[in-house]
Amino acid sequence: MTNQVIEFRHVSKQYDDNLVLRDINFTIEAGKFYTLLGPSGSGKTTILRIIAGFDDATSGDVIFDGQRINDIPANQRQVNTVFQDYALFPHMNVAENVAFGLKIKRIPKEEIAKRVQDALHMVQLDGYGEREITEMSGGQRQRVAIARAIVNRPKVLLLDEALSALDHKLRVEMQAELRALQRRLGITFVFVTHDQGEALAMSDQIFIINDGMIQQSGTPVDIYDEPLNHFVADFIGESNIVPGIMKKDFLVNINGHDFECVDAGMKPNEKVEAVLRPEDLDITTVDQGKLVATVDTQLFRGVDYQIMVHDEEGHEWKINSIHKTKVGEKVGITFDPEDIHIMRYHETEAAFDARLDSYEGDDEEDER
Amino acid sequence: MKHKINWGAIYLVIVFIILYLPILYLVGFSFSSGKTMEKYQGFSWTHYQTLLQDTRMITIVINTLIVALLSALLATIIGTMGALAIKRTKNAMRNTLLSFNNVLMVSPDVIIGASFLILFTVIGMKLGFWSVLLSHIAFSIPIVVLMVLPKIDELSPTLLDAAADLGASPWQSLTRVMLPAIAPGIMSGYFMAFTYSLDDFAVTFFVTGNGFSTLSVEIYSRARQGIDLEINALSTLMFLVSLALVIGYYFISKHGGSRKNQIVTVKEGDVQ
Amino acid sequence: MKQQKIWFVVPYALWIVLFVVAPLVLILYQSFFNINGQFTFGNYQSYLTSNVYLRMTFNSVWYAFLITLITLLISYPAAYVINRLPNRQFWLLLVILPTWINLLLKTYAFIGLFSQNGSINQFLRFVGLGSHQILFTDASFIFVAAYIEIPFMILPIFNSLAEIDSSLINASRDLGANSWQTFMHVELPLTMPGVKAGVQAVFIPSLSLFMITRLIGGNRVITLGTAIEEHFLTTQNWGMGSTIGVVLIIAMFIVMFATGDRQKKKGGRAK
Repeated sequence: MTNQVIEFRHVSKQYDDNLVLRDINFTIEAGKFYTLLGPSGSGKTTILRIIAGFDDATSGDVIFDGQRINDIPANQRQVNTVFQDYALFPHMNVAENVAFGLKIKRIPKEEIAKRVQDALHMVQLDGYGEREITEMSGGQRQRVAIARAIVNRPKVLLLDEALSALDHKLRVEMQAELRALQRRLGITFVFVTHDQGEALAMSDQIFIINDGMIQQSGTPVDIYDEPLNHFVADFIGESNIVPGIMKKDFLVNINGHDFECVDAGMKPNEKVEAVLRPEDLDITTVDQGKLVATVDTQLFRGVDYQIMVHDEEGHEWKINSIHKTKVGEKVGITFDPEDIHIMRYHETEAAFDARLDSYEGDDEEDER
Repeated sequence: MKHKINWGAIYLVIVFIILYLPILYLVGFSFSSGKTMEKYQGFSWTHYQTLLQDTRMITIVINTLIVALLSALLATIIGTMGALAIKRTKNAMRNTLLSFNNVLMVSPDVIIGASFLILFTVIGMKLGFWSVLLSHIAFSIPIVVLMVLPKIDELSPTLLDAAADLGASPWQSLTRVMLPAIAPGIMSGYFMAFTYSLDDFAVTFFVTGNGFSTLSVEIYSRARQGIDLEINALSTLMFLVSLALVIGYYFISKHGGSRKNQIVTVKEGDVQ
Repeated sequence: MKQQKIWFVVPYALWIVLFVVAPLVLILYQSFFNINGQFTFGNYQSYLTSNVYLRMTFNSVWYAFLITLITLLISYPAAYVINRLPNRQFWLLLVILPTWINLLLKTYAFIGLFSQNGSINQFLRFVGLGSHQILFTDASFIFVAAYIEIPFMILPIFNSLAEIDSSLINASRDLGANSWQTFMHVELPLTMPGVKAGVQAVFIPSLSLFMITRLIGGNRVITLGTAIEEHFLTTQNWGMGSTIGVVLIIAMFIVMFATGDRQKKKGGRAK
């Protein structure tokens, strides 16, 4: 608790008649990599803009370092932002861009020169100081934008879809670099993205945002393994989401078949949704399968095959397998009890955590 | 294919001859030793000498330049502020302001001249230098807005956020980021306002009194009296000034244009 | 932040009130007063009943129409050819250059060219057609006006041509259209906004340019602009001048409405 930097208390934001944030509560601790993940229009960028001070919260408190900062203008906050379009000043060269914040703070010239050099070194742009922005490639501009922000030594660095303008290969490279940079600097990063792969790869903590609300928060592994609701399950990774009935603890009925599972704490015969990840489904012989299905399509994707099948009741399943099948072939599908993840309708994050604790004790704490 | 291009080229050559013949004709006769634009009488600087000794004409040239420089400067300041103000308004308000802005752009000169004449009479202003200056400022403001506003629109909306994020106060954001970034637009605006003022005849003709005259008005009154090769000499000089202005303007807008392309490139990069 | 917003607007808003709104209101107001400063509808009455004014208006519109048409017919092919040239920006610059030369000087050149012993007549005599009265005719007025307006027509048409994505032309050809069909069904419709902008830029000044009518048309050609100038500066009948001014403003709005497609699109794009 002592090293929390940012806290949102019941923050809501309304544009005209449009409620874009509904009662957001969270705390952000110092020195960690946070990701706000959600589809476009979910409100994630608005949260970032409220932290930076570009937008005001309609209601609620924004706490920074123990102080309420709702009324402090953006230029007096100890956060810096890396913008989606970089927002590099077109009339300044690289070094002038990086030096801008320091010049505003009237820091002595020699120190500015030194810190600019350090910052450029940090983002591997040594010797690029005199270049015009227009001479820089997209990836280099990205680095300039990062240097321009970190040179001010902010307590929190905000990154707004910072990698989305880069091509795939560069993006993957920058993910690793950003993560390394965050470790080295030891400052808090708050990263906004709609790319779940990016979020899973980089973050200590992810907040999944949709419809102006935090849907779920947790480590990447928690969120992937135990999505709270349909939205999260669908948004993170690939999944088969099927309706089911919780017969009793550790037994779920899906499409008329009973399966053993590892979830408990629901009402008897409660309607639920079950998530089965495609990579957890294995193809086997018909007699060994828990389900029998016919292969509809098969796509080779490099690392694996994506296989679409339909079972005897006509339900479609998506399977990712490194083994090849044949279209039209009858196969068996098998999976383990822990591959089934049960989600209750309308369960809150708090209730979900409480329920998990009730039957799993504290063996969940071994993550990190 | 080749055949077609030739027809097009021939057509274009004819159009260009029509466009430039009258101008070259004027310039050519300015060096004629004769007194009419009928027959070339052999090379001479006579008309230029007359022009240089014509103190009335020289005073008018100076007046015209003062009005143009001053009106362009003030129009640029007000127009830039107007463009910044328009940028901060939303859809409906923005469209309304732009409509008002464009009224003077599309209004015929006679209407502007006549209505300004009524205005100055109503407020009891004496016609002369000040009424001409005010009018020139007034009709140059919209072109400045139209040159500056696209430059502002072109800027990434996050640019000012970035300035604030890095600690700049609103005033610092304006002077250190906004104005330098739109400087090419402001310069173009100044140049356009300057040439608008130099070129104006109709509005000045209405609002100038007896004591004050600009070049256009003077040329008009002399042209009504017939051919005077001193005017040819004057037009040659003005042609050279225009040429210099065009080159200057293109230098600026090319500079600005390349910046524009640069920013566009940034935007395209973002989409990909 | 909010206070700054206000001081930004002040000079510009003042300008709108003083030099955009007030003049328009004043010209309307003035049109209801006669030469002796008494309130009257007489100006409109005499405008609407007098043969002289109505014919003058009709002539002015007719001349403007001819000027616009001639300008368009000359400019469209020119813009089309320029758009196909390798150094099209340079050629466009050459088109624009004459517009930077004082209007009066260009008009003045034609006084020399068209005069009784001017170069055109010398040429006509040379080819055996004899000399003609060219200056102070309707034709000379229309020619000079068209000459002055050509760049203002070429420019928007060129811009709309240059904006056309070349893959649209390729698509049209790919779908089997020949170059004439491509022009009629793809290029021409896509350049209509440019044509409309050009018409707007040419038609309205053509109604009002009074120095050309004075210098080239003599007193034979009287346009709305000439009439306004005469009433304001010669006969000092500001009321009647303002009435004709109001007519000119109405004509301007009609032209803008008829060619307003472009602005609507512009607004749409801005959103």
